[in-house]
Amino acid sequence: MREQLEAIRNRAMAQLGDDASAEQIENVRVAVLGRGGELTAIMRGMREVPAEERPAIGQLVNEIKRELESRIEALQERQQRARMERALAEQRLDVTLPGTRIGRGRSHPLTQVAEEMIGLFEAMGFEAVATQDIDDDFHNFSALNFPPDHPAREMQDTFFLPGGLLLRTHTSNGQIHVMQRRQPPLAVICPGNCYRRDELSVRASPMFSQIEGFMVDRTGIVTMAHLKGVLSEFLRGLFGAATRVRFRASFFPFTEPSAEVDISCVLCGGGGCRVCKHSGWVEILGSGMIHPNVLRAVGYDPAEYQGFAFGVGIERTALLKLGVDDMRLFFENDLRFLEQF
Amino acid sequence: MKLPLSWLKEFVQITADPDEISHRLSVAGLEVENIERHRPAFAGVTVGRVLSVERHPNADRLSLCEVDAGQFGRFRVVCGAPNVRPGMVAPFARVGARLGGARKSGEAPVSLDEVAPLQAAEIRGVRSEGMLCSGRELGLSEDHSGILALESDAPLGTDLAQYLELDETVFDIAITPNRGDCLSTVGLAREVAALFGLKLKLPKIKPPAVSDGECPDIEIHAADLCRRYAGLPMGGIRIANSPAWLRRRLELCGMRALNNVVDVTNYVMLELGQPLHAFDLDKIQGGKVVVRRAGDERRFVTLDNQERELRPDDLLIADAVRPLAIAGVMGGLDSEVSDTTTRILLESAYFEPMTIARTARRLGLRSEASYRFERGIDRQGQVTAISRAAALIRQLAGGHELAPVRDVEPEAALRREIDLDLRRVGALLGVDVPRAEIRRRLISIGAAVHTTGKERLGVIAPSFRPDLNEAADLAEEVGRLRGFEEVPERLPQRPAQIITRDPARAFVARTRDTMLGCGLTEIRTIAFVAPEDNRRFPGLDGGSPVVVTNPLSTELSQLRTSLIPGLLGVLRFNLNRQATAMHAFEIAKVFHSTSDTPSEGQRLAAISYGDFIVTSVGAPPIAAGFFTVKGILEAYFVSLGIFDQITFAGIDTARAPYLHPGMAAEVRLAGKMIGVLGELHPQEALRFELSRNCGLFELDFGALADYRHPPRAIEAPPRFPAVRRDLALVLDRDVPAATVIGTVKNVQEPLLESVEIFDVYTGEGIAPDKKSVALSLRYRHKERTLTDEEVNRAHEALVGRVLPLLNATMRQ
Ligand SMILES: [Zn+2]
Repeated sequence: MREQLEAIRNRAMAQLGDDASAEQIENVRVAVLGRGGELTAIMRGMREVPAEERPAIGQLVNEIKRELESRIEALQERQQRARMERALAEQRLDVTLPGTRIGRGRSHPLTQVAEEMIGLFEAMGFEAVATQDIDDDFHNFSALNFPPDHPAREMQDTFFLPGGLLLRTHTSNGQIHVMQRRQPPLAVICPGNCYRRDELSVRASPMFSQIEGFMVDRTGIVTMAHLKGVLSEFLRGLFGAATRVRFRASFFPFTEPSAEVDISCVLCGGGGCRVCKHSGWVEILGSGMIHPNVLRAVGYDPAEYQGFAFGVGIERTALLKLGVDDMRLFFENDLRFLEQF
Repeated sequence: MKLPLSWLKEFVQITADPDEISHRLSVAGLEVENIERHRPAFAGVTVGRVLSVERHPNADRLSLCEVDAGQFGRFRVVCGAPNVRPGMVAPFARVGARLGGARKSGEAPVSLDEVAPLQAAEIRGVRSEGMLCSGRELGLSEDHSGILALESDAPLGTDLAQYLELDETVFDIAITPNRGDCLSTVGLAREVAALFGLKLKLPKIKPPAVSDGECPDIEIHAADLCRRYAGLPMGGIRIANSPAWLRRRLELCGMRALNNVVDVTNYVMLELGQPLHAFDLDKIQGGKVVVRRAGDERRFVTLDNQERELRPDDLLIADAVRPLAIAGVMGGLDSEVSDTTTRILLESAYFEPMTIARTARRLGLRSEASYRFERGIDRQGQVTAISRAAALIRQLAGGHELAPVRDVEPEAALRREIDLDLRRVGALLGVDVPRAEIRRRLISIGAAVHTTGKERLGVIAPSFRPDLNEAADLAEEVGRLRGFEEVPERLPQRPAQIITRDPARAFVARTRDTMLGCGLTEIRTIAFVAPEDNRRFPGLDGGSPVVVTNPLSTELSQLRTSLIPGLLGVLRFNLNRQATAMHAFEIAKVFHSTSDTPSEGQRLAAISYGDFIVTSVGAPPIAAGFFTVKGILEAYFVSLGIFDQITFAGIDTARAPYLHPGMAAEVRLAGKMIGVLGELHPQEALRFELSRNCGLFELDFGALADYRHPPRAIEAPPRFPAVRRDLALVLDRDVPAATVIGTVKNVQEPLLESVEIFDVYTGEGIAPDKKSVALSLRYRHKERTLTDEEVNRAHEALVGRVLPLLNATMRQ
C-alpha cells in the first residue's frame, strides 16, 4: 500500500514538471485528486487496511494530497503570471491619443466677474437682492430725484413700454424697492440687467448689467468716509492691493455729495497708456451720499437717517479686468472667446 | 463747454499751468475732457503799419514799403502783394522770424524748429529787412492773393500771435446738468478762483444813463414760464463783421461768427451764461413785445427757414400781431437781424427750464441758448448781461441805446436761506471741517453767510446756483472744494451677523453648476428681438409679446418671450465661424404682456448641436439630440432631488411650433407644465441652415425655484439581497414606456422594489403594429432574504394583473 502510494506520488510529481501544460495539470488533478481519482479510491478502500496501519497510511495520503495540491497551485500561479506578462506585453495604448471627451461648460465671463464682485460685497456684509427689470417712472426716476423733463434724464436714454412702464436704466431702482420694503440699518447690493437706448458697439450695449449697492443707518453712522472705505476695499480686492483709488466730485441726481471713482490704470499702473487716455486713471464707478430727496421718497426722515449708494457697471469692470476692449465680445458669444474662461 | 485760458485770465489771475488747472477742476466735479493747445505756425511776427508804398526800381510787380513796427522801429521791405497800400495794418515778419505756414496751397504748416529764420535779403538790388505776410504764410488761412489785412486799430509792434490770441490753451469741460452756472467763462472763473484761493474780478457793468425814448412795451402773459424779461432798444447800428479777437474767441468756443450784433449776443452768453436775442426793432409791430403761450398758434417759421409745428403750451415771444420767436429756443425768420438792420431790440430773459427743455426736445432744436435755459441760468443776471451786450455793441457796431432797459419781473425771486447745521457737514463727510473753513468755502462760491447760532450758519445761495437747496448741497460744496482726498477711509463697524442669502441666487448658482458639469457653456444674449422671433418662438407663458414704445430698430422692437431664438442666433453665429458643435445654456429673463401689462419671468434654456461626447479615436462620437438634452435635464432634476416629481409627456405642438412634433415633450413638475424639450423642427433647421440634429429645452426657472421641494427622507441601504425577474411583453406600438412602468407600479405589489425598461424591440418576429418591451423587475423584502417561491408567486401574480391592463402578451 505504501509503495503503491509512493508510486502515485512519484508519477504525479513527474507529470507536474515545470513545463506541464494547463491541460496536463488538470489531467493529473482529476486522475489523482479528483472524485474518481487514485487517492480518493485508496481512501475509500481504507477499511481493507489493517487497523494498526490505518493512521500512518491516512497520514501519508494527506501528505501526498497536500504536496500535489501545493505543487498544482504553484504551477497554476506561475502560468497565470506568464499569461499576464504576455498580455501586458501586448496591451499597449498610444497614451498621447486624445481621451473620451465629456464636455465641461464655461460660465460666462460676465458671470465670473459679477460673482467675484458680489462675493467681495457679501464678504463685507452686503446682502444681494434681486429686483425687477420692468419698472415704473417712480422707482427708476422720480424717487431717485430726477424731476420730469430734467436734463439729467437725458443722460440715460430710456426704453419705454406700454402701460406707463419702462425698462430700468440702472439698478438704482433696487435701492427704492428695498428701502420701501425695509427699515435701516441696511447694507444691500442689487445686481441685474439695465437697458439704455444705445446701439451695440465697442463701448455700449442696449442691455448691460450693474451692481447697485447702498448702506443706510442713523445720521453720522455711515458717512462719506465709510463710502470711501468700502469702495476702496472693494476695488483693491478686485484689482489688487496695489490699486490706488481716487474720488472725484461729480453729479448724480440721487446722491449729494456725489463722487465718481477712478482707479489707477490696470494696464499701465498709472504711468499713462491708451486704456487710460494717458491720464493714469480709469473711471470705474459712481457713488455718493444718498440724496435727502431719495430718503424722503421712501419715507425715511433725512434728519434721522443717512447712507451711501454706488453703482458699478459689470461690463466695464470686466473689460478692465480681462484686458479686452470690445463690449460686443460679451454678447456675441463667440465660443473661441468663451472657451478661454 | 470750452474755456480759453486767456479769457479765464481776464477774471482770475491764475498762474498755475494748464495741467494743474485741469486736474483741480476735474477732481472738483468739472471734468476736463481735453486740453486743446493752439500754437501759431510762426514766431517773430508783429503788427506793422505800411507807411508808404513805392514802385521797386528794378521790378514792375514789386513794391518798396516802409513799415512801422512800433517799438521795433521802421523797416524797408520789398513786397510783391498787389493789395499793399499805405496806411494798411498787416503782419510784419522781422529778420529772424520763422514762418511755418505753407508756401504752396494745400501744404500743411510745418514745425517751427524745421524752419530757417528769415534773413535780410537783396531782392533785385534792393535790401529787404523783413517781410509782409499773407494768411497762408502764417498758417492762418489758404489766402495767398495778398498780404493779410489786420484791424486798423491793432497796436503796432504787438506780437501777432498774442494779438490774435493764437497761442492759446482751451479746456474742454464736461458740465454736469446741475451746474448751469459753469456754462459761462465767469462761472468757471469763479470755480477756479474758489479752488485756488484767488480773487474773482468781475467786469464792472452798469446800465448807461439814457433818457427815456422809444421802446416797445413788454407784457408777460405767462408769468409761470417767463419769470423776467428785459428789453433794450438800440439804434444807429451798422451791421458788419466782428473784429478778429471776438471771432477768434467764438471759434475757440465752438461757435460760428456771423455779424457784430449776433456775435456780441453769443459772446456775452459765453461770458456770463445769459442767452440773449436781438430782434430787428423795425420789424416789431404794434409797439409791444408779448411773452405768451402759443395757444391757437399752430405754425412758426424759424430763422433757419423751417416751418415748426407749435403746441399750445410752447412759450412764444410775439409782437402785437404775430410771433417773433420760440422763447429760448430759436428766433423767427421775419424778425431776425439782417445786413440792413439799423435798430435792434435786445432781449435778456429768464425762462423756466422745463418749458424750454420740453419744447427744444420736441422740435429737436438744441441750441447753446436752450441748453443753458434748460439747466437754469442766473435768476438775477438779465440786466447785467443786457448792459454788457449794449456796451459791446456801442463799441463794435456803432450803436446807442434808444431808451433805458425795460425790465419786467412779475414777481421778485425768493431769497432762499438755508439753515446749515454745521454738524451735518461733518456727519455727511465723515470728517470735521472747521467753522471758519466752511464759511470761507461758501463765500468763495458766491454765497452770503451769517451766523445764526452756536453750530449754525444762515446761508443764502447765490442766484446762479439753483442747485443749492439744503444742508447736503452745501456739504458737497465744502467737500468738493477742499477735495474728497481729505475725507479719510473708514470701514463700517457692524455687529457680526449672518448675511441673509437670497435663495433665488443660490438656486441660480446651483443650476449653473449642473449645466456646466453637463458640458453646457453659459451665454448671454440681449433681450431685444424682432417681432418675427416672438411669433416663431412663443414662450412658455402664452401671453403676448411686450412691444417697446421707442425701439432702436424693428429688428429689436420687442422683448423676447423665449430664450430659444437667442440661442439659435448664437449657434448660427458660431457655425459661421467654423464651429461644428455648440452646447450652451442661458439663464435670463423673458417678458410677456397680459391684458396690456408687461411682466417678466426667468427661464433656463439650452441648445445642443453637433457631437456631444467625442469618444477616443476610432470610436463613433455621440451626437446631440433629443436624448442627450433629456439626459441633461434628468441629471439636473436628480441634482435638485425632484426627479421623482418630474414627468415627460407628449406636447401640444401649438405650444412649441419650433420643435419637431414627433420628438418633443412637455416637462411637468408635480403634474404642472414647467417647460418643453425636443429637437428643432426641420423647417426651422432649414431656416438656420443646420445640417444636424439640434436639441433644445426651455424651463420656467421661476416655477422651479419657487417649487417647495419636499424634505428628503434618507434611508439606510437595504441589508437583504434583491431578486431580479425579467419580463418581455408584446403590446401595441404606441403605448409609451411611461405607461408600461406606471401600470406595473400601480399594481402595488409590496415586494416589488423597482421596475426598469432595458430594451424595446420592433421588427422580425413581432407584428408590425406591436412592439416588445423588456422589463427588469426587482423584488426585495426589507427584513429577510426572499425565497424563490415567494418571488415567483409575487411575480406571477403581478404579470397576471399587468397583461390585461396593457392588453399585452408574454413574448415567447
Ligand atoms: Zn494706462
